[in-house]
Amino acid sequence: MLLIHCPYCEEARPEVEFAYGGEAHIARPVDPSTYSDEQWEEFLYIRSNPRGRHHERWRHSHGCGRFFNAVRDTVTDVFETTYKAGEARK
Amino acid sequence: MTGFRLADGGRIDRRTKRNFTFDGKARWGYAGDSLASALLAQGQMLFGRSFKYHRPRGILGAGVEEPNALVTVDRGPGRVTPNLRAPSVAIHDGLKAVSQNRFPTLKTDLIAVNNVLSAFFPAGFYNKTFMWPRAAWEKVYEPIIRRLAGLGDSPTTRDPDHYDATYAHCETLVVGAGPAGIAAALEAAATGGRVILIDEQEEIGGGALSDPAQWAWLAEASAKLAAMDNVTVLSRTTAIGHYHQNFVVAAERLTDHLAVNEAEGPREKLWRIRAGEVVLAMGAIERPLVFEGNDVPGVMLASAAKTFALRYGVAVGRKVVVMAVHDSGWRDALALHKAGVNIAAIVDLRRDVASDLIEGARDARIACYQGYAVTSISGGQAVKGVTIALAGFGKGQQLDCDAVLMAGGWTPTVHLWSHAKGTLRWDEAWGAFVPDKTHENLRCVGACAGAWSFGKGLPGGLLPAPKPLHESKAFVDFQNDVKARDIGLAVQEGFRSIEHIKRYTTNGMATDQGKTSNLNGLQIASGVLHRPVTEIGLTTFRPPYTPQSFGAILGHHKEALFQPLRKTVIDDWAASHGAVYENVAQWRRARFFPQGSEDMDAAVARECRTVRSAVGVFDASTLGKIEVVGSDAAEFLNRMYTNPWKSLEPGRCRYGLLLGEHGFIIDDGVSARLAPDRFHLTTTTGGAARVLNMMEDYLQTEWSDLDVWLTSTTEQWAVIAVQGPKARRVIEPLMEGIDLSPEAFPHMAVREGRICGVETRLFRVSFTGELGFEVNVPAEHGRMVWEAIWAEGQKHGAVAYGTETMHVLRAEKGFIIVGQDTDGTITPDDAGLGWAVGKKKPDFVGKRSLARPDIVAPGRKQLVGLLTDDPQAVLEEGAQIVADPNQPVPMTMLGHVTSSYHSATLGRSIAMALVAGGRDRMGETLHIPMPAGTISAKVVAPMFYDPEGSRLNG
Amino acid sequence: MVEIAEIAVSAAELKLGTEPVQGDGVRLSHADPKARYSLRARDAKVLAAVIGRALPGKIGDTDGGIACLGPDEWYALLPAGTDLPRVEGLPASVVDVSSRALGLVLEGPGALAVLSSGCPLDLAKMGVGRATRTVFETVEIVVWREAEDRWHVEVWRSFATWLWNAFLAVMPHAK
Ligand SMILES: [Zn+2]
Repeated sequence: MLLIHCPYCEEARPEVEFAYGGEAHIARPVDPSTYSDEQWEEFLYIRSNPRGRHHERWRHSHGCGRFFNAVRDTVTDVFETTYKAGEARK
Repeated sequence: MTGFRLADGGRIDRRTKRNFTFDGKARWGYAGDSLASALLAQGQMLFGRSFKYHRPRGILGAGVEEPNALVTVDRGPGRVTPNLRAPSVAIHDGLKAVSQNRFPTLKTDLIAVNNVLSAFFPAGFYNKTFMWPRAAWEKVYEPIIRRLAGLGDSPTTRDPDHYDATYAHCETLVVGAGPAGIAAALEAAATGGRVILIDEQEEIGGGALSDPAQWAWLAEASAKLAAMDNVTVLSRTTAIGHYHQNFVVAAERLTDHLAVNEAEGPREKLWRIRAGEVVLAMGAIERPLVFEGNDVPGVMLASAAKTFALRYGVAVGRKVVVMAVHDSGWRDALALHKAGVNIAAIVDLRRDVASDLIEGARDARIACYQGYAVTSISGGQAVKGVTIALAGFGKGQQLDCDAVLMAGGWTPTVHLWSHAKGTLRWDEAWGAFVPDKTHENLRCVGACAGAWSFGKGLPGGLLPAPKPLHESKAFVDFQNDVKARDIGLAVQEGFRSIEHIKRYTTNGMATDQGKTSNLNGLQIASGVLHRPVTEIGLTTFRPPYTPQSFGAILGHHKEALFQPLRKTVIDDWAASHGAVYENVAQWRRARFFPQGSEDMDAAVARECRTVRSAVGVFDASTLGKIEVVGSDAAEFLNRMYTNPWKSLEPGRCRYGLLLGEHGFIIDDGVSARLAPDRFHLTTTTGGAARVLNMMEDYLQTEWSDLDVWLTSTTEQWAVIAVQGPKARRVIEPLMEGIDLSPEAFPHMAVREGRICGVETRLFRVSFTGELGFEVNVPAEHGRMVWEAIWAEGQKHGAVAYGTETMHVLRAEKGFIIVGQDTDGTITPDDAGLGWAVGKKKPDFVGKRSLARPDIVAPGRKQLVGLLTDDPQAVLEEGAQIVADPNQPVPMTMLGHVTSSYHSATLGRSIAMALVAGGRDRMGETLHIPMPAGTISAKVVAPMFYDPEGSRLNG
Repeated sequence: MVEIAEIAVSAAELKLGTEPVQGDGVRLSHADPKARYSLRARDAKVLAAVIGRALPGKIGDTDGGIACLGPDEWYALLPAGTDLPRVEGLPASVVDVSSRALGLVLEGPGALAVLSSGCPLDLAKMGVGRATRTVFETVEIVVWREAEDRWHVEVWRSFATWLWNAFLAVMPHAK
């Protein structure tokens, strides 16, 4: 079970308190109607799925309830960092 | 010497006898004996039959690495555990152990014919032979192979034991309590941090238990550890696996070492340990040597013989020959000699052996054969002698003996290190992989770190032999019956990677995970391939380190505690009124309330008719509820739901349809605006948590500028639906401060007031098509209000109805159930809910997807009604629908039935279905092929009752 | 086919105890009835002013029966009958959830072990007067350490029966 540092609680907490939220920094467009079908498909379904550094969202569901972002190595599962939602990509 | 018990020595208590049975025969040992040592003491050499060839097998090791001596221990009904390793089973009075893999008895095993035919069972035999015909696999091959190749029998009854579990935290966790582990624990404990020291054996000490010179120190260290408040010592506890960030799962065996009548409390305890630092002190396992006949009972590891003699006071033979390629064999031989075991000879493949070892052997009058190898063993069920030859090829020379000890060098136990994704490096001196790097706060000490001196030796375990490899019966993996020649064959057939060789030969894939076979297999593959070991790679170790009961993994959470069963506050009332239940998500809900001898159909028909003609009361408390508060609440809902919310007046309700960004229906529910900045949302029972999470997601990450907060109120409110033409008359006398007249309180309105003296949020809504109300009251008052409504309802002929009736009533009206009439690929238009999509709204979640080419393309599945030609035929939900019942299989399937019931109100069956191009097929007859014959049905609008909705205005 | 016997007690038969249960070193009981509020606000000062009470500033802290559970979330556990005003027109939210949860109390030197049997937090390191949302196995709870050996556990009403019995299962010699 992973230990995940919640940037809001400012402490490492057990994985079972968290929910994974998919790839991070995929912002919903301000006006989706301006997106072409291809752009919209990209937004909906296309993810980077890297080997190595992955920017992803987690929610401290059974803790402070906050969504936040993390950089996790998909090979080792080691969290490089976690940071609050809205902060720039790290 | 009595039997094979040495006159003195060992840690056994010779004053306390323990009686047990093995294969039904009375046996005995001393307190402190393992099943293996007690049986060896009585001369038992044969312990089991091998997995594939049913060859007789004895003891190989003295610990968890034991591949051969697997036993089933029977502790009474439901308490039969197969595949236990005899050296790891502590004896107690009344222990019943049974050998495995023999038919009908251990000595006379009929299936041993496999052994005679073994030339026909090489690696890959099963894969190659039993491929065709396919049907024969299920009926013929598999049952026979299962009979032949079982590893003990799986339990067939419920496990009556219970199991404990806990989380634990410490600054330092030490796995393995041999000298290195104990030293590490003492050192860590001195700093004051919490220390947990775990060890799989009956008592701590590890290798020191087999070395009387260390016993005084061991006793002192044990006492010191026991006296420290910050130290927890867990013996009989196996670290099953290391998971991320030093999360180590261990299982403690609490009662299996006790007589059945003394065993109290949980059988095992699962420790889920989070440690700041993990110190692995798991030691090393001696490697067998690979030579012809190395699996004959009586051939075992030298270190095991030493343990049996020095820890248990048992000689493994009366005349013992040691076959070594490593100094430790000499040392063990000398220790055995000192303990009173007759060592007839030490054979070593090496010509050069340290002079002190040779002198020691000479002083003990042990014959030494340097440069020699054992080339064969005589004896079938027990060793009668060995043949040795110079360099393995010279002229054979017979030595009489009844036991042969193998000293093939040592393999550090790196399993948990590997679980933690620690890397390994090849150590030539050890002839093994040793720990290298890790990103965890994890270190190895002692032998598992490669930091322990067992002396020097040759790295390879395959002895030179006069026979070519492909004729040899030299075993590598004893438990899976893999021979050196199988590995040769695998290479010959083109396998190069050790991962492939492993799977083809099954080397290392038995329940011991190759603890004694991996390295020898690797070395042999390396030799055949003429490539260095490091280029061949290493197979992956995975948890559990040793086989683990499922019971401990479940912990307390089995049977009644397996998972929470959520009940509403009205559930008890329902139980006392004969409710039959169904589970919906984690909730149990009253499904119907049979009276007398009614079956479900009769009860549901009566409940339906009563709701339509009078009134019914329904517990809707499980509906998900969310309080949405804030000045931007309406704006937020407007963005989330398909329909417009900003214009909704306080005091009014609206049906909300929620899509995912992909445009498909996720949830629905009626929601009310209580005040300009306060909404009471409802969701489906199963969707409550999901919808709240989705809304939080948008609120926190997309629209964090909105002043809106969400609070789950699912469990705050009990919800009592009162539905039917007499609904108003039932609740009217109980209400305070709410004008229920149709003018003051129209359909789809909400009012706050009081009922039976407690606050209520009263909704005028209907999921039945009848005049209806939903009474929300704080859950603690739910039961009281329900009973008051029920009492009042009795004056009007009310029924209590359950979810089945609710389903029928809503289907008669064509109301969908998300998840039943939708399947995650259904758009609002597909479901006939296009009206609920705000055409003028510039955006809402999922809107863009509704314009995608596939979504607007013709021919999508659409929700329709079906009326069977035979009005009494009730279609099966999930049944497939075709246009032409006579086309050959595979037929073109147009869709499937989503909801289907007998409607008492209509006196016939009704159904809803998702059908390709459904709305263009109105009036068409479609067909539903069923095993008993094809059923025909006409496509109609999914609205079977009161299409004008006039009944809402009762 | 193997016939597996019916289980002795099914989940449906579990009962939520009403009377305190004493085990070796640990006692399980119901907390006194409480008024419960979920409090939310962008700015704690606005909320504090509306309800007329101080709010703890850091996640995990408590003050006067109010715990800070998240950056904009507080949970008030007040004597039954306490009324907090509904906020209107301000960037804050006050929702009465008095009926949503039940409070169970574990007390005694063995309480920590009972809670640790299913809660993955290092509770020994949780200070007195701290509170947090977490889980007990699969069930969400709020743990509030009221004293060295007294833990108040908030759990949603419909999970309370399971939790009560899960505690009992690990309480030694519970009577
Ligand atoms: Zn948090």
